[in-house]
Amino acid sequence: MIKLENIEKYYANKGLKSYILRHVSTTIQQGEFVSIMGPSGAGKSTLLNILGMLEEPTYGTYEFMGEDVTSLNERKRIELYRNHIGFVFQAYHLIDEMTVAENIEAPLLYKKIAAAERKSRVADMLDRFNIVGKKDLFPNQLSGGQQQLVGIARALAAQPSIILADEPTGNLQSAQALQIMELFKKLNEEEGITIIQVTHSEINAGYGSRILHLLDGVIKEDLQVAL
Amino acid sequence: MFRLNFKIALRNLWKNKGYAFINIAGLSVAMASCILIFIFIRYQLSYDDFENKDRIYRVVSNWDTGSSTEGSQGVPVPLVSAVRAKFPQLEKVAAIKRVGGIIKVADLSGKTNFKEETEVFYAEPELFAIFKLKWLTEMPSAALQEPNTVALSRKKAVLYFGTWTSAVGKIIRFKDKMGLKVSGVFDDIPDNSSYPFNLMVSYATNPNKNDGNWSYVSSASECYILLKKGVRPADLEAGMKKFSAQVYKKEEHTYHSIQALSDVHYNDHYGNFAHDIMEKKDIYGLSVIGVFLLLTACINFINLATAQAIGRSKEVGIRKVMGSDRKQLVVQFLGETLAISIIAMLFACALTEVALPYMQHLFDEKISFSLFSHPVIFVFLITLVLLVSFLAGFYPALIMSGFSPALAIKNKLTASNTGGLGLRKILVVVQFTVTVVLVISTLVVMNQMSYMRQKPLGYHPDAVSLVTLPGDSLSQLKAANLKERLLLIPGVKNISFCKDGPSSYNVYETEFSLNGLKNKDFQVRIMYADERYFDVFGLKMVAGKPLAKSDTVNGYVVNETFLTKLNITDPETALGKLLDMNGSKAPIVGVTKDFNDLSLREKISPIAIASGKDDYYSIAIKMESRQMMPAMKAVEALWNTAFPDHVYDSKFINNEISGYYSTEKVMGVLFRTFSMVIIFIAFTGLFGLISFVAAQRTREVAIRKVLGASTLELVQLLNGSFLLMVFIANLIAWPLAYVFVGKWLDGYAYRITLGIWPFAIAMLISMGITLITVSLRSYKAAQTNPVDALKYE
Repeated sequence: MIKLENIEKYYANKGLKSYILRHVSTTIQQGEFVSIMGPSGAGKSTLLNILGMLEEPTYGTYEFMGEDVTSLNERKRIELYRNHIGFVFQAYHLIDEMTVAENIEAPLLYKKIAAAERKSRVADMLDRFNIVGKKDLFPNQLSGGQQQLVGIARALAAQPSIILADEPTGNLQSAQALQIMELFKKLNEEEGITIIQVTHSEINAGYGSRILHLLDGVIKEDLQVAL
Repeated sequence: MFRLNFKIALRNLWKNKGYAFINIAGLSVAMASCILIFIFIRYQLSYDDFENKDRIYRVVSNWDTGSSTEGSQGVPVPLVSAVRAKFPQLEKVAAIKRVGGIIKVADLSGKTNFKEETEVFYAEPELFAIFKLKWLTEMPSAALQEPNTVALSRKKAVLYFGTWTSAVGKIIRFKDKMGLKVSGVFDDIPDNSSYPFNLMVSYATNPNKNDGNWSYVSSASECYILLKKGVRPADLEAGMKKFSAQVYKKEEHTYHSIQALSDVHYNDHYGNFAHDIMEKKDIYGLSVIGVFLLLTACINFINLATAQAIGRSKEVGIRKVMGSDRKQLVVQFLGETLAISIIAMLFACALTEVALPYMQHLFDEKISFSLFSHPVIFVFLITLVLLVSFLAGFYPALIMSGFSPALAIKNKLTASNTGGLGLRKILVVVQFTVTVVLVISTLVVMNQMSYMRQKPLGYHPDAVSLVTLPGDSLSQLKAANLKERLLLIPGVKNISFCKDGPSSYNVYETEFSLNGLKNKDFQVRIMYADERYFDVFGLKMVAGKPLAKSDTVNGYVVNETFLTKLNITDPETALGKLLDMNGSKAPIVGVTKDFNDLSLREKISPIAIASGKDDYYSIAIKMESRQMMPAMKAVEALWNTAFPDHVYDSKFINNEISGYYSTEKVMGVLFRTFSMVIIFIAFTGLFGLISFVAAQRTREVAIRKVLGASTLELVQLLNGSFLLMVFIANLIAWPLAYVFVGKWLDGYAYRITLGIWPFAIAMLISMGITLITVSLRSYKAAQTNPVDALKYE
């Protein structure tokens, strides 16, 4: 599904290149649950941003679903966002002015899905995450864990084939974090959704099927997790 | 999608209530001003909307005086038939003459039960083919040709006879001599017309209809023409030139030209029957002010919206990764601006309704301005909303939709991503430049007005009233007796018979010769008054004596300007010289000190004052200022018993003089109002902007505070750039304002000198208010506890 070849990212400062990523090459198959780990400043988030096409690599090629997306025009990228990629953020990033239901509905609007269908999908999500009672609340009326549930529900509503999660449990207490990880695992196993997450936590990484260890912008280790 | 975005827009507004208020208040005030200006201009541009208005022209007269061209709306009486004969390309040619007089309406027994002094028009039948009136009765085509017939407007018919239907066939008397039979009634001419047609007497009734004098032009005699279809006005104009060359000798410097009906209401050079002229340049001036107000409000909006943009960056980022494209975001933000504009427009409409009566009062228009009377106003409102949304919303929308999602989501956007502070600074400078120009102009206009109010005119206009004096021979006989009796009224100090007050536009200019030598350089204005005139108005003599008592010209009193123009330095030497004008030869008996004989816009002209019973149209009554009201009542009663057949009219000289400056008064009020409005808009905007800057720099302020900066230093830090911006705006505004007000003041012969003060005061005001506005907010920012600001977000 994803193929990275020799990805490099650096910032040139007065002729001095400071590398964020070096020679990153890897392939991620459909249905994998990958955790990217490493100390602060290792380039985890940059790698995830490149995977999510929020940043462009300085060198190298990136193929997404068999298509070279290294430098993609905006319209194509938006197409991918609408149909294939769902984002989950550490700080949830719900839209503050929208209610829970509206937040979940938002991506469907951009997919130009009909109103009736939108309604049923939102209801389905609310149901699935047990937040029906909170659908008319605004994000600031929810706990962090609940907000992240909404964030994931929002990402799933558009039925993406891959979820990119940047430290999804970073701001959560451990019990809530556990719940989120269980959810990811379930989604991955039952619906075959590819998940790539950045995490600091070995425990969280343990839920996945594969771990990429990053150090100073280089993949040091590529582990398959024993089930 | 629309519904959701709309909801979000409203929630956002609610969240930022303060800024929303500033935006909406500024926009609605500016919009209301624009609407008012538009309603007024629409009214002014709607004048003289007659059928065939594109083909209706008026023949006017012009005289080259070497340096300039004098113009008159009138033409010599014989011109009309000559034009009719010479120009086949004209469909219709019509003469019309305005005269004033007393109309009397008698009841069945023959007793006069109504009289009024009014204007009537002698009109040729062709005039009704040029100006299509709406006839309530059948158009009395035949009667319009016959002598002693009159067509009435509905309101006059109702006034004279109760109902218009009962008017036809009745007789009204004009100037006591003529009995006029009402031949028809037409609908009232609307107020937005240069043609106050109310009593249209057949031209055959005009006693001067066969006048053959080509050298006499009265502004009351006009000639209207209707061009045949397809005739080009330029060709006709050329024909007029040729025609004039045939009629006049070269040294007469006279020629005729044509003026379009669409120009009559706007051209000060010729004038019109309604005495109601709105010059195009005033209309443009008003529109420019409207545009400036709108611009200032839009700048507020842009500044606040881009400043707020960072707060919404997260939303933009998330929307982008959810698959929103830039176009959708632009549409969303424009939609939000549209919502704000619509809300502002609703407030603006309410404000307009409140302000309309004041405007009506200000412009002294009889008609009622209404927001909903004309569909074009609706079109304007909609255009205004769209224009404002676009002007104010497009740039912020472009900036916000352009955020990089990676940065936006991580809260890594800085001020430089929101279009930079640079552009905002430029906009603030523009805004304040406009504000300062307007403030300076206001100060200058107000100064000039108070100067005009206070400038001594060279005579005493206080407590003097002018009362009409009938000119017929019977009344003249009664006049002497009336004078004696008027003087007995308590409170009446002195009385003079005269043509008009010292400052008057009602004065003939004429050629003259001095000691038999004809003067070619200038003409003299000749005023008629009796011997008491000098006393009543307190005119000072510099040489010789005032006029002696006489009914005809037996001596002239001239003014100093007259002598200066003739290079006579010692007034004593002028005495005794023989002055010959209008066929009356008499010596100069006195020289009076200069007084302003016109408005202060014009220089003092050369003047001669002489006695002349036939030219006395007014009684100037000097009163004890404490007893003015009872004295005037007594005068009126006495007058009415002396002249039962005439209509009493009186005016105070002071009111008359201030009437010359009604335009200035309106200008003054407009400038004052609009400067207030613009100051309000500019400073609310400034307050909004400083709030954002303070909020943005909270961390910086906190860090500096921890490092030991005092509150005062921090306030200075935050204020500095704003004061600098307003200062720069002042620097830019000064030369602009200087040129602008200098040009305006050039229109006055007597004007204030343009000193540094209005500029300095404008600067002081703008900097002062800036300092207060900005300090209010920055002080609060500097006072916050650094612990709160430095907490991890």
